[in-house]
Amino acid sequence: MRNLFFFIYRFRAFLIFLSLEVLCVFMLVRYNTYQGAAIFNSATTYVGYVLEFQSSVKDYFRLASINNTLATENAALRAELMKYKDIEQTDSLNKMTDSLYVVTDSAKALPYILHAARVINNSIRRTNNYLTLSVGSEAGVRPEMGVITPGGIVGRVKTVGKRYSTVTSILHSQMLVSAKIKRDNTSGTIRWTGGDYRTALLDFVPLHIKPAIGDTVVTSGYSTVFPEGVMIGTISSVEREPDKSFYTIEVKLAVDFAQLSYVYVVEDPHREEREKLERDAGIKSDEP
Amino acid sequence: MNRKFGFINIVQFVLFVSFQILFMDSLILYSTAFCFIYVGFLLFLPLGISRVWILLLGFITGFTVDVFYDTMGIHAAASVLLTYLRPHILNLLTPRDGYDTSDTATIYAMGWRWFLAYAVILILMHHAAVFFLEVISFRDVWYTLLKIVTSTIYTCLVMVIIQLLFFSGKRANR
Repeated sequence: MRNLFFFIYRFRAFLIFLSLEVLCVFMLVRYNTYQGAAIFNSATTYVGYVLEFQSSVKDYFRLASINNTLATENAALRAELMKYKDIEQTDSLNKMTDSLYVVTDSAKALPYILHAARVINNSIRRTNNYLTLSVGSEAGVRPEMGVITPGGIVGRVKTVGKRYSTVTSILHSQMLVSAKIKRDNTSGTIRWTGGDYRTALLDFVPLHIKPAIGDTVVTSGYSTVFPEGVMIGTISSVEREPDKSFYTIEVKLAVDFAQLSYVYVVEDPHREEREKLERDAGIKSDEP
Repeated sequence: MNRKFGFINIVQFVLFVSFQILFMDSLILYSTAFCFIYVGFLLFLPLGISRVWILLLGFITGFTVDVFYDTMGIHAAASVLLTYLRPHILNLLTPRDGYDTSDTATIYAMGWRWFLAYAVILILMHHAAVFFLEVISFRDVWYTLLKIVTSTIYTCLVMVIIQLLFFSGKRANR
């Protein structure tokens, strides 16, 4: 027994080194697989507070460009609104009382709910990039919700704290997004391979399709994370490699991740019902 | 040998880690050269600090950076590796007549060659651990290796600049 204690004492540095490394690897694996509440990450209240302070200083220097983006979006929304008003004024069908309009597509009855959020931390140059938003469970944000901007998709909520939340950016080596080419509805998967933060790959487009440079790629709506038809980017190059049964397609992402300031968290009111149904039917895939 | 972990080290911890969190993300060169300036805190710790204590300090430092970077465990693992290797590297690099009580891990006290050897070896180990844990697999090995080499050079340069700017010759002879 005395020898054992002596042994432990003699190699205490090495043993502590080993146990700390095991702890680190355990945290690494757990963090990469586990979704849910914030334990120790940037959605924790105090950490979020520091990041919010940092971004409030940084944002001050780009107020002009942030205002510009918001004004452009307002203008686009206003134009759309005017279009609807115009239709309503010229259309007398709405005022008819002898017919009843029944909504048959339940997806249209309850639209998506958007929560506006400020980006308080954002990385673009690492292998696995995350964002921190200044909304949390108090505002109704839950893990697995999609995050978009007027320009296109940004990522998916990973963990949620009380006032802050962490988002897995699509610039993350393990993030896959179900996508489709808008022109012919060919579906594929968007994947980021690292390096340049402006381009991603569109996988699994079969060879009988003829994708062209400049085609728009949007979300497919097959997952509950993003609504259908949200912009992802445009095809910038199409290559046909001899030993592969799919094209290698590069997509130029629509969102400039270096300029993110305000984003929307998308809440799908039907999500639980749809996921339960798909799970019960046994077709729930692992793909996000 | 100077064994004291004093107030000055706590100040260094706060400065290095907050600098890392607040500014270093904006100072990445060409998406390949990263500067992990917080390793400076671990490198400049007193030479005679106990082996167990420095391991815990390494863990705390790496963990703090991890929390802000959302890279749970990566920087903590790399920092613990660095602090485990540090006493061994110090032994390897012992000057002919051993370390003086007044010696610190600085250019002023130990000279250019000693400091560069010390810093390059430890920073290389640390950065290799960070970048390989980040990709986990061995795909894109060349890109990862390029990142390790350029980042090591970058961080070492920053360490030397910090020493020349903020560590005076007087303090080393205290």
